[in-house]
Amino acid sequence: MSTEAVTTNRSDMIVCENVDKWYGDFQALKDVSATIAEQEVVVVLGPSGSGKSTLIRCINRLEAHQQGTIIVDGVELTNDLRNIEKIRSEVGMVFQQFNLFPHLSVIDNVTLAPKWVRKMPKAAAEKKAEELLEMVGIPEQAEKYPGQLSGGQQQRVAIARALAMEPRIMLFDEPTSALDPEMIKEVLDVMKDLAHGGMTMMVVTHEMGFAREVADRIIFMESGEIVEVGTPEHFFTNPTEDRTKLFLSQIL
Amino acid sequence: MSETTSIETGKRPEEISRSPSEWIRQNLFSNIPNTILTIVFGVFALYAIRGLLGFVLSGERRWEAVATNMRLLMAQGYPANQFVRVWVTLGCLMVLTGLSLAIWSSKGRLSVKKISNWVMNTGFGLAIFAALAPISPSSRLGWVIAGALLLAIGLGSWQRAKNKTTGTVHTVPTVLFSFGFLGLLVLSLWVVPFGHYAFTNGELVAETGRTVAMSTKLPFTVMWLLLVGSYCLTNLVRESLPIGQAKALLVGLWLLSPFVLNWIVLRDPDFDYGHIISTDVPIAALFIFVGGGILFMLTKPSLGEIGRLVAIALLIFGIFNWVAAFFGWYPMLQKVRISFVMLALAALITPNFAADKKTRLKFVTGWGSLILISHWLITAVNSPSTLELQGPTYLGGFSLTLFVAILTLLLSFPLGVLLALGRTSSMPIARVLCTGYIESIRGVPLITILFFFSNILPLFLPQGMEIAELAAIVTGYTLFSAAYLAENVRGGLQSVMRGQYEAADAIGLTTSQRTGFIVLPQALRVSIPPLVGQAIGVFKETSLVAIIGAYDILRIANNVVPAQTEFLGVKREGLLLVSVIYFIVAFSMSKYSRRLEERVGLGER
Repeated sequence: MSTEAVTTNRSDMIVCENVDKWYGDFQALKDVSATIAEQEVVVVLGPSGSGKSTLIRCINRLEAHQQGTIIVDGVELTNDLRNIEKIRSEVGMVFQQFNLFPHLSVIDNVTLAPKWVRKMPKAAAEKKAEELLEMVGIPEQAEKYPGQLSGGQQQRVAIARALAMEPRIMLFDEPTSALDPEMIKEVLDVMKDLAHGGMTMMVVTHEMGFAREVADRIIFMESGEIVEVGTPEHFFTNPTEDRTKLFLSQIL
Repeated sequence: MSETTSIETGKRPEEISRSPSEWIRQNLFSNIPNTILTIVFGVFALYAIRGLLGFVLSGERRWEAVATNMRLLMAQGYPANQFVRVWVTLGCLMVLTGLSLAIWSSKGRLSVKKISNWVMNTGFGLAIFAALAPISPSSRLGWVIAGALLLAIGLGSWQRAKNKTTGTVHTVPTVLFSFGFLGLLVLSLWVVPFGHYAFTNGELVAETGRTVAMSTKLPFTVMWLLLVGSYCLTNLVRESLPIGQAKALLVGLWLLSPFVLNWIVLRDPDFDYGHIISTDVPIAALFIFVGGGILFMLTKPSLGEIGRLVAIALLIFGIFNWVAAFFGWYPMLQKVRISFVMLALAALITPNFAADKKTRLKFVTGWGSLILISHWLITAVNSPSTLELQGPTYLGGFSLTLFVAILTLLLSFPLGVLLALGRTSSMPIARVLCTGYIESIRGVPLITILFFFSNILPLFLPQGMEIAELAAIVTGYTLFSAAYLAENVRGGLQSVMRGQYEAADAIGLTTSQRTGFIVLPQALRVSIPPLVGQAIGVFKETSLVAIIGAYDILRIANNVVPAQTEFLGVKREGLLLVSVIYFIVAFSMSKYSRRLEERVGLGER
């Protein structure tokens, strides 16, 4: 139950040790251990059902793990509500289905949390929101409603909404899987800019090009366990495990 | 060098709007089965209309029974010498409506084509009326001419609207059109000889062939003038008003209006000013300043857990007061008990206002106004009324129906939402309590609940505590309606996708923020159709107040009017009028529900 920060030369943002998770009798995560350092971009790859989404959702307690420890930015993830709230304010998440609030305009979507959680005054929150929308490339859509935007625009609004809370870690759960091919690039560009800006990112994706270009490390999971971890060069050109080779042969 | 090829976008071909004869041919007589159906149902409809008209216009009908008793049907039992209060109430509502229409400037417009359509349909209706009604040949001719005239006018303006090639559609603002229509109705009171029927000094006065009495013409004209006047005045100054605050103020006024109009205007409480200055003002001041001070301290952002503990302690104290009052342990004014509970509830929501000083001051000012208004209302209710009443309530007839319906809806709606949230919450106690409440209420008929509240509950109350008849009725209705509303809202809650909950959690919203900002707005949008259906049901169920002896419009038409010596046994005319009134109100609610659904974008992806 330690809440001390783990000290290394660059502090570890996310530390998972021997994490197990069951859905009923089905074990979704088996003895998963991983560490993500500050400003690192980690891409999690794997076939469907491998537990990648489960792992990433455990990190901000959208799912609860039964065994093992998860420490996010020095705070351990337990059932203690205060720890969960603290962690959630440091971690931003982008979902596969965007999950924008359909009854609020784009600018309201982005300013909702800063106004009511960080208690920012309305003018300051809107100014920040406009800057963020400019950063993701859609400043002119501020007054529109999510239903009026394309998928790529919606996902970019979702990224802006997550960034509005100034998180130290960004989690991406298959952000481009629900998009048409021509819109994938615009979202990936935003994510690349984020990575080059020094954000700690954990990305679950099938976009191999993105993984090769931007990732510092790649974690390959299958059937709930971590099979291989390595740099993109190592992973794509010279994988060690057989299961990794099988996976790569199927997708490349 | 890439050349962008421009694709020629052609002009969309203009849709040829069909003339009425084409419309008839296409929709009614397009093929053999359609033609047969049209003829069969047409004959059936004409037969039914003829029967209805025969009933309505037959010489045996005593419509003067309805005309004479209009005042009775609308506001039974209200002392005639104080009747101006009823008009004052109506006037206040007219002013509020005019203000609201101007502030929420509705941009609705009606196309001239649509209006011409209505005129044509009315003309057609008049022609059918003239053909089928059992009236004298001379008046039949008159009605035929009127119908043909309307048809011609409608057709003419419709053709003119159609022939415009510029593409602009001539429109009229809906608000102005409605005002004009109402103005025409008011004008008809001055011009058309409806006849004068009244009970004057206990005697029936029936004069056909002259216009209605001045005591009817004048107030309605004043009402219309108030409505249009307040609208136009507000429109003139609209630009210079802070619209957001004006809207909030108007919403507050509307919410207050049933209580204020009822307890203050209609009831005319006899305020004991000596007692007020000595007792009520100090109590109110105490709650405003001491309570406000406590709340101001609780909204300090750096407070943390202590704030929550204080709020819970206040809540326990507030509830304990009611228990103590029930057992008579120590005396405490009801007003003070209520104020403590309000203080506790306000303390519970202080975390949402723990921000900069301006927000905190606004919160405390809001608390002060709440205490002022609630204490004023409670003092008014506890003061005796100066009216001499004839029945258990001082409202009767249609005004009673409206009052009970509106108050029930106002109170049961928040309660229903809370129950639905409680039933779906993760806290087991809340879930069990709410489910138990909903299921037991749904298992019992409404009459049983009303009977219980009006007859049996007073037996359980401790000595000296009594509950007004009308309050018992409204409480019973509210509790009943809330259970059904809860289930409707719960259906809407289930339609909100899990992803919305997750996204709200991921950006750090608290559970109550998530419920209020994300879940409830989406859930309520979906629940609109069943909610409006429930509202219509509540409106019609108000006729059950008869079991406590109150006279709503149905009971008056069914029992009171046929018992009058001048109109013994005249029942059907009154009942027909009551059905028409019920239909108009219920249908308007349905129509408004459609418009509401369109506005919130229901059914669109």
